[in-house]
Amino acid sequence: MASPYRQKVRGIRKSSLVITVAANATPEVIWNLTQGGQNPRTAIIRKIMAYNDVGAITLEFAVAGVNILPVLRLLNNIDNEWLEDEIPEVEVGGDITVETDLLGVQVQLEIEEVGS
Amino acid sequence: MPALPQLYPYKAGPIEFIVMPGETVGVWVNKVYNFFKVLYIEGTPRSDPLEIDFGALGAGAVSGVVQLTFLEMPDNEFGQFRAEVLDDISALLYQGRADQRHKLNIRVATYTRFTALHDPDGHEGEFYVHENNWAFMQVTNQTDYALAQTRVAFWGFRYVLEQFPESVYSWTARPQRLPEQWTRVPATAHL
Repeated sequence: MASPYRQKVRGIRKSSLVITVAANATPEVIWNLTQGGQNPRTAIIRKIMAYNDVGAITLEFAVAGVNILPVLRLLNNIDNEWLEDEIPEVEVGGDITVETDLLGVQVQLEIEEVGS
Repeated sequence: MPALPQLYPYKAGPIEFIVMPGETVGVWVNKVYNFFKVLYIEGTPRSDPLEIDFGALGAGAVSGVVQLTFLEMPDNEFGQFRAEVLDDISALLYQGRADQRHKLNIRVATYTRFTALHDPDGHEGEFYVHENNWAFMQVTNQTDYALAQTRVAFWGFRYVLEQFPESVYSWTARPQRLPEQWTRVPATAHL
């Protein structure tokens, strides 16, 4: 269901590559924060897509080892999606890592980067 | 018949230049208007070189008063700028260093993240910088957690000027010699 509330657009939308998680329970960078010219940028996860046919259960996103969202429950053999209305407005200033309990899950993010 | 453009400072909506080339402006600096002919106008888009990061600030902390060095204008130019706050801070504008802008009798309005919700184009916070009458900002972390960055972005127009001699137009002469039509540019806070 669409949210009735929309803030002014804050940044530019970009997407990560499709990552196939390479190791069990090991964080792996999925989004390298853009350097920007002279000032730092920040990033907000807007969409998450994950395909799981390996029986994985958990999906986690973190910055510098600290989870930025609660652990998400992966379902098997289905495309798992979390859209903007379902994701808290978490703004981070570092590279985002993804982690699943079993390797082989495909994950992609849509990111809004704030800055100039 | 084409309509004449309606141009003036603080105009609502996306930023527009406030005069056309060839028109006359009076720039308010040091409590007098100085009169210039506008020769040339150029846009300065919102972009990385026009964004300042006041740096990391602890919860509730206040930065120093920092000169917006990149908004300094060359001789015979003034700039028209709008601002957008990117992090959860309030930013107080000074022109010069001891003169706050957007002030009432006992309070001074600031730029915050909320400003853009009500004024998406930033016209209420428009300000003008003439030559070396610099702008400064002081920012406050409004949250109860530390911020790693405190950023404000700017965009606008620059105007190249040719000054009218005092013998032509003068605010200080008595009686004053004023242009028939001119646009008032509030380039400092001196009142």
